[in-house]
Amino acid sequence: MKKLIVLFTLIATPAVAQDFSANSEARPWNLVAEVPARFEATVVDLLCELAGDCPANCGDGRRQLGLLRSADGVLVYPNKNSQPAFTGAAVELYPFCGQEVEVDGLMITDPELNVDNVYLVQTIRKLGDTEWTKANQWTKVWAEKNPDAEGKGPWFRRDPRVNGMIAADGYLGLGQEVDEAFIADWF
Amino acid sequence: MKHAILTTALLGLASTAYAAEGERVQITGEIIDTWCYYSGVMGPPEATTGTAHHTCALWCSAGGIPVGLLGEDGEVYMVLKIEGDDSSASGDTQLRLASHEIVADGMLYKRDGLNYLVVETVVADNGIVNQTHDDWGVTPGFAIPDPEAE
Repeated sequence: MKKLIVLFTLIATPAVAQDFSANSEARPWNLVAEVPARFEATVVDLLCELAGDCPANCGDGRRQLGLLRSADGVLVYPNKNSQPAFTGAAVELYPFCGQEVEVDGLMITDPELNVDNVYLVQTIRKLGDTEWTKANQWTKVWAEKNPDAEGKGPWFRRDPRVNGMIAADGYLGLGQEVDEAFIADWF
Repeated sequence: MKHAILTTALLGLASTAYAAEGERVQITGEIIDTWCYYSGVMGPPEATTGTAHHTCALWCSAGGIPVGLLGEDGEVYMVLKIEGDDSSASGDTQLRLASHEIVADGMLYKRDGLNYLVVETVVADNGIVNQTHDDWGVTPGFAIPDPEAE
């Protein structure tokens, strides 16, 4: 009976927000709503976790991945890796699919935008490992997939798909005529 | 008494499980770049939608940043799949729809403060209708290369 009462109490008690900033060595980005956060989690396929749509190997890198936090079962959504280059986190987490890891980075919590549990991951390590892996592999992976990308500058100036879209619809997405008028005024 | 407590505990568990169940919804909104919208790195949320932010939305979508559907209700719905295409990290379908206003029919999953959407059907694709460049120029300012520097 005592065990049942304890179980009931645990189920009925609302989750209390925990502080995951202790021991974080995350580098600040000076974002309005950033909070350092270091925690242990399991890397999960979000579609599998939420909708039961579970292909092998987290979808072979096609899908967004989540972090199921060990301390409280909260599902954290890593939107961003550590590169200031318009790059996401799935490429960084994919090698750890299904594994228990420790991550360090920045949590975005902004009541005005009604957002919580959105994360920028800076470093990852498999639980038990001593060495951290920096979450900065995206541009290297892109370069390997796009050896013939033409032009100069960073990846986003040379990406064939992006450049194809801009060639078709312009920088504003409204067509080349609208672009021309805007550019004449903008510069 | 023992049975009553057990039943209550099981009901508690059942309601927790039910919260993770999907709900069929139809949402009209704009396909946005969630990181710029949430982080403020490119300015206020209004500057990270529509034509002003279109090029950046392409970069971020191609770069594997999650796309969301910014609904008419002001809520952001994280898009995990569109009409069978589960390439939510840098996929072609979501890239093609960057900044578009769509009507999406699908399943909504709410979890830990975030909305997740599996789009089963794009009922309507209205193209890019949110013309924000008159108010915001382009964000970031370097989205369009300076013709003089080319």
